[in-house]
Amino acid sequence: MLGELINLLIFPGFLFLITISFIYEWIDRKFFARIQGRYGPLYTGPSGVLQPFADFLKLLSKEDITPAACERTIFSITPIVYTAIPLIMLSVIPLNGRAIISFEGDIIFLMFLSAMVTLSVFLAGWSSANNFSRVGSVRAALQMLSYEIPLGLSMIGPAIVVGSLSLSKIVEWQIEHSAWFLWLQPIGFAVMLISLIAELERIPFDIPEAETEIVAGWMTEYGGRKLALLRLGKNLELLMASMLISSIYLGGGVQIYFLPPLVVLLIKSVIILLIMSLIRGIFARFRIDQVTSGMWSYLLPLMIFQIMLIQFGVD
Amino acid sequence: MSYGSTIKIPVGPQHPALKEPEYFLLEVDGDFVVNVKPRIGYVHRGLEKAFENNTYLHDLYLAERICGICSHAHTTCYTQAVEGLTPLEIPPRAKHIRVIMAELERLHSHSLWVGIAAHEAGYDTMFMYMWKEREIIMDLMEEISGNRVTHAINTIGGVRRDITDEQANKIRKFLDRFESDMKGYIKALENEPTFIKRTRGVGILKPSDAIATCAIGPTLRASGIKNDVRKDDPYLVYDEIPFNVIVNDGCDVFARTIVRCEEMIESANIIRYCLDHMPSGEIRIKAPRTFPPNESLGRVEAPRGELIHYTKSNGTVKPERHKVRAPTLGNLLSVCKTLIGAHIADVPLILAGIDPCFSCMDRILVKRV
Repeated sequence: MLGELINLLIFPGFLFLITISFIYEWIDRKFFARIQGRYGPLYTGPSGVLQPFADFLKLLSKEDITPAACERTIFSITPIVYTAIPLIMLSVIPLNGRAIISFEGDIIFLMFLSAMVTLSVFLAGWSSANNFSRVGSVRAALQMLSYEIPLGLSMIGPAIVVGSLSLSKIVEWQIEHSAWFLWLQPIGFAVMLISLIAELERIPFDIPEAETEIVAGWMTEYGGRKLALLRLGKNLELLMASMLISSIYLGGGVQIYFLPPLVVLLIKSVIILLIMSLIRGIFARFRIDQVTSGMWSYLLPLMIFQIMLIQFGVD
Repeated sequence: MSYGSTIKIPVGPQHPALKEPEYFLLEVDGDFVVNVKPRIGYVHRGLEKAFENNTYLHDLYLAERICGICSHAHTTCYTQAVEGLTPLEIPPRAKHIRVIMAELERLHSHSLWVGIAAHEAGYDTMFMYMWKEREIIMDLMEEISGNRVTHAINTIGGVRRDITDEQANKIRKFLDRFESDMKGYIKALENEPTFIKRTRGVGILKPSDAIATCAIGPTLRASGIKNDVRKDDPYLVYDEIPFNVIVNDGCDVFARTIVRCEEMIESANIIRYCLDHMPSGEIRIKAPRTFPPNESLGRVEAPRGELIHYTKSNGTVKPERHKVRAPTLGNLLSVCKTLIGAHIADVPLILAGIDPCFSCMDRILVKRV
């Protein structure tokens, strides 16, 4: 019982994941800055590694304003929901050899939760009673309509081959056959990467929070503790996305000689993170109609083609 | 697709896409703009009246402060107008120094704009790179004139500071590197699929519309019309310098970006030519304090387009009337024309496309009682 609690709350549970997510934000910011010819975080801690944590603490100490016109309950609850959902999603991913929660069909559970993230974003923007937030939340919902189905299909591809809807089984299958789905289903990997970038609202899909068009989009009215939670949720989502993709397509956490599974998983997910940061560095922002039509006319047919390839036994 | 009824969306006076206060009332049908009503005058500073209340020398400092970016263009235009009152012929070396500063300023203004345009399109990496270049240009200008923004190098009758050989070599060295880097940036912009998707075919300004709405500067040249005061009505030493007027017939925001990028390379060549052909001698002559009753017009190709200063003297130390027409005013009608039919998400990009400088533009204030 105590072991379970430590597993869930401390290592490799919530405390560990939150700490790691701050470090991931630092890696993202530093790498992005270096691409742009800037220094990035520099002063707080060695090479500014503590900067995301310092930002978080600073935001916690700021005044917490709730606009008078907003829907109070939803406005206050959504940051908590937004932070909690990625943590639950992370507990399904086999971190240290095995997942904290694992059951047959947890991939469906993951899909459901990833839709819930966008739903909480929509509610957060809609309850803010601000025009920019409303436009941002509508854009977030529209964007979800475009990436949700390719993302779901890209998770189903490996599940068909393994014959199980459990993430842990998919990872085990890859270890047993010592094969990565990246090589077996490269199209699926690309589709999943693109869809996850869209879900994370990063360039080129940062449309719901397009700075030059709608200020901070759905986050415009948030400040203080709530914004701190939203930012933490964003970091956790980033961590979750990079770990999910490395679990499904890069073989996940596996013991390599003396390296424990968790370290291997971290290395793989950092590589994914760096790819995402690179994409963030070299692209401009799409327009919402371009995303919707592009996803439906390219990503979805590609993914269906990939599923057909699997069905005909080409893998 | 039409929804039958339209809604009105205000852009400004405070809006994330606008760096300065200006108001555009967009009439929107679905996702498309069907009508635009601009309202100007939020940053009216009473400059023209202030010109009348100060001496010619004081007015020079006022002219310097009309714009925060093209301050040198304004003083060049102002001195051109005032020197035309007697008329006063300034030494050739001073003319060359004015041209060098003007073109350095064009480099600085255009690199600033390309950065902003990239930022509006969400292409932050290009923004950072362009502004890094701009920083180096501003350092160069600081070394020449002593100031980063308000250079204060022009004076009535010449310039106040000389360019030494050491500075000239420094500029040459910078230009060589800048030109090769700039070609790389143009290549990056032309091959960046997301940037092209956001800018190509966006904000179309047909050549006929451009002429009808009196567009000027890079906006007009991006609609395929060869128009440049430096070529059409050469001032200073532009008639001696071989250079091309850059045009592009894309008519969209992408064409405006490319025109400005290529103009930067052209400006680099102009600066190089001026540095190589700079005569030695005086840099200023003594200018009179009073000017006989006369009127004179200065026309300068500022980074944003044609800039006009008109001055009228009455024999005293102060001008009787001074009129400034900043380039943004000339482009305002064309941007309103361009906005019609655009997506709402493209509005910031199109507004930024004319390189707006609303604070320089506001000369009138309409008060409805």
